[in-house]
Amino acid sequence: MSAAARSTILTAGAIAVLFAAPAAAEWRPSKPIEFVATAGPGGGTDNLARTVQSIIVKYKLTDQPVVVVNKGGGSGAEGYTYAKASAGDPYRVIFGTSNAWQQPMVSRVAFKHTDLTPIAAMAQDEFLLWVKQDAPYKSVGEYLKAAAAKPGEFKMGGAQSKDTDEVLTRMIEKAANVKLTYIPFKSGAETAVQLAGGHIDSHVNNPNESLGQWRGGTQRPLCAFSPQRLPKGPNVTATQGWHDIPTCVESGLNIPQFQQPRTVWLPGKVTADQLAFYVDLMRKVQNTPEWKEYIERTSQTDTFLTGAEFEKFMNEDIEHVRKIAAEQGWLVN
Amino acid sequence: MDNVESLLHGFTIAITLPHLALMLVGVLLGILVGVLPGLGAPNGVSLLLPLTFGMQPVSAIILLSSMYWGALFGGSVTSILFNIPGEPSSVATTFDGYPMARDGRATTALATAFGSAAFGALVGVVLITFLAAWVAQVALAFGPPEYFAVYFLAFASFVGMGGAPPPKTVVSLAAGFAIAAIGIDTVSGSVRLTMGIDELVKGISFVVAVMGLFGIGELLLAVEEEVQAKAVSSRIDWREVFRTLLDLPRHGWALLRSAAIGCWMGITPGGPTAASFMSYGIAKRFSPRSARFGQGEAEGIISPETADHAAGTSALLPMLSLGIPGSATAAVMMGGLMIWGLNPGPMLFIEQKDFVWGLIASMYVGNIVAVVLVLLTVPIFAALMRIPFFIIAPLIFIICTVGAYSVSNSYLDVVLMLGFGIVGYLFKKLSYPLAPLVLAIVIGDKAEDAFRQAMLMSKGSLAIFFSNALVTTLVLAGIALLLLPLVLQVAHMHTTTKPVLD
Amino acid sequence: MISRRALELTTATLTGTFGAAVVISSIENGIGWSTAGVDAGTFPFLTGLIVLVASLWNLGRGWLENGAAAVSSSDLRHLIALFAPAAVFVAAIPLIGVYVASGCYILGTLALLHRFSLPRSLLIAAATPVALYLVFERMFQVSLPHGALADVLGF
Repeated sequence: MSAAARSTILTAGAIAVLFAAPAAAEWRPSKPIEFVATAGPGGGTDNLARTVQSIIVKYKLTDQPVVVVNKGGGSGAEGYTYAKASAGDPYRVIFGTSNAWQQPMVSRVAFKHTDLTPIAAMAQDEFLLWVKQDAPYKSVGEYLKAAAAKPGEFKMGGAQSKDTDEVLTRMIEKAANVKLTYIPFKSGAETAVQLAGGHIDSHVNNPNESLGQWRGGTQRPLCAFSPQRLPKGPNVTATQGWHDIPTCVESGLNIPQFQQPRTVWLPGKVTADQLAFYVDLMRKVQNTPEWKEYIERTSQTDTFLTGAEFEKFMNEDIEHVRKIAAEQGWLVN
Repeated sequence: MDNVESLLHGFTIAITLPHLALMLVGVLLGILVGVLPGLGAPNGVSLLLPLTFGMQPVSAIILLSSMYWGALFGGSVTSILFNIPGEPSSVATTFDGYPMARDGRATTALATAFGSAAFGALVGVVLITFLAAWVAQVALAFGPPEYFAVYFLAFASFVGMGGAPPPKTVVSLAAGFAIAAIGIDTVSGSVRLTMGIDELVKGISFVVAVMGLFGIGELLLAVEEEVQAKAVSSRIDWREVFRTLLDLPRHGWALLRSAAIGCWMGITPGGPTAASFMSYGIAKRFSPRSARFGQGEAEGIISPETADHAAGTSALLPMLSLGIPGSATAAVMMGGLMIWGLNPGPMLFIEQKDFVWGLIASMYVGNIVAVVLVLLTVPIFAALMRIPFFIIAPLIFIICTVGAYSVSNSYLDVVLMLGFGIVGYLFKKLSYPLAPLVLAIVIGDKAEDAFRQAMLMSKGSLAIFFSNALVTTLVLAGIALLLLPLVLQVAHMHTTTKPVLD
Repeated sequence: MISRRALELTTATLTGTFGAAVVISSIENGIGWSTAGVDAGTFPFLTGLIVLVASLWNLGRGWLENGAAAVSSSDLRHLIALFAPAAVFVAAIPLIGVYVASGCYILGTLALLHRFSLPRSLLIAAATPVALYLVFERMFQVSLPHGALADVLGF
């Protein structure tokens, strides 16, 4: 090895040490942070990213500016692929749902959830079964009976294909032994309007996606896919609030729990310190009154899964969804 | 009348000094993002959103919607001056706006566009003011088959016109559909046509395609006409602006028809882009000056602009009353609505009267502020035309590059834009029509989604397109528009005795 | 000089290749139409097929074209003078970033190619990146590519 080459290597080593040194101490962002919402503007994921952004700005939880960008192309694949390409960049925080691990199962996208570093699952969104306001069914039992009488005639709408809404639809089919026709739309909001117009018979929107429609008297929930009734809150309509809606199990549809986690990620190959900074940041966000208000307003369940807990949750969900996907013949790998 | 009272109350909310100041700021920022291609209204609005978290909801929505008006007006500027549509909905404006500007009448073209746009917006707001409840009901009648029928109607009114050779038109249209299909498919969730390029899973952005096809393509063509381009110089002439505006009422019928098409497409969720194309198509088909279209005809600017703004304005109504955003920008605003603690939906009009009527009143005022400001800038923009081509060309190239990049922070988009630029040049040179290509890229996948959703509902039977009066009427109207040119041609052949020479 | 015939043939080949690629690629997605709905590949397949057939038709018509010039030699020189620097500019972005690249691009085209006065060229070349930075990076917080060079220098 020549002297020149050796000195180059030495210099490179010195530079590497120089740059690595500050990282050994507690990591802090030193340039603007980008929040990547893996959905278009206006939906639940976008809403979460912007709420977290607004809380960080309000309480000055970091001195760097935070920008939200939407990368919702390809049902979120755009955002995740972007995250994969940003490996090692601690200035990109990705907001998504369980589609981070579900999408790679059912379509040939270029990312896997293992390409990302999980920060936390910050909230669980609930699901309900909705029908049109003037539909004849008073309970989920009546609805299922009518659906069983006409196999394949009942139209269930939902957001996206082979995502949570369709998974839940297939679970209902199995649990109640009925056959439904699933029609995928672009978003929950669009699905809600299709139900209001009577073009579909039911959907399984999150509370927040159909809140306005329920208040406006165009559609109503039959049951909630949760182990116990949703928490008491102010009445939504003149007479009813979320707590008055029975769980699906108590009304005879045996699906005890179905929730959609709201997940937050960093790109792959970030350092433990960088991850720790964001876990801490999200924890701080969660301890504000604004966060409580957001959870209440959107009728989600407050959780904070991180580290091993999050991994466990993810692996259980993967197993569960993989089984359904295999039965439906959706698996691509 | 109840609505008039509410509106007057709304004006007392909208016309306060702080709100007027917000409108001014919003409109100016809006014009800026509108003029810069790639940085559309959705970017601008989402960037301002954090600033509004501490505001009253009504002040916040006034700021954001003013930005939207500004951007809608600004989007037409680059369409007319450089053939680069800043927004999907201003593509149709390039067809006659750009030739008119090249002809040395940039001032007239801009003033015509702004004047008719303001008229369209006004009709849209009046519609919202008086028919809000009824309009919400109409929108509910639209399910997948009806959606498809609306898109079909938009295609039918546009395809089959123009003198391009049929096989070339077919290539253009079908390629547009294929490009629209790239990425993840909504109905099946599977990845389509990415040809091994992983990043294409997000699909090809319309803005990238259009900046290449129109902007770069035109630049390449213009280099051959450099001598002519130099001759174009617009004098700064205020009288010309006023003369043009005073002249607009002469096109009263075109204005009214386009506003009607715009409102209709805005409420039935066809959207501003489909509206502007359809309006241009119908104008060209039925105008006595049909032959002049494409060469700088005023009605060719009036029709798309009026319809675009009428649709853009009335598209805010479904957002408020149903919670479905009619455009990307409306979607960002809707996200804001939720963060401010409001729930878009049928109850908004009842529970949040101050907010809703404050917003509606601000639409009147905001649009007036926007049109005045934008008219004031006409001479400045027109002066851009006097910069020599060899200086402006690299600048346009840089702006398009940066614009394409900023659509989704992707270098691939820049490369794609260059590719589309070459295609745009070749197509224009060999008289392949670009309009069907663009229309198919914009609404092709929506039409396909709606069609396949309808097929899921009907179990594969086409009879669903004739299953009720609404959808049947729409489909038949589309078929009629499609066949009209053929029928006219046949009739023409019967009446003319001379053999038709090609 | 490029003849109209050559241009027509090139374009038709280009669109035809695209059509063929679409056809092949969409077969993977399934091209059925049954009571279970329409498969994901059906429409792309049909549009690809239409593009392919129409392109073949255009190819045939292009073959019959005469050899008249569509782009004259001087036009071609102008075209290359416009497009080549632009392509170099785009290619240089990943390496040296938008700011440096745009400055060089402007300076190159104005001063070298068009013999524009040097001080003015320098002025425009300096003003462009500054304006880009202010509008995009500062005002609208869109981070433009800084290039590999910036990474090495530690920006």
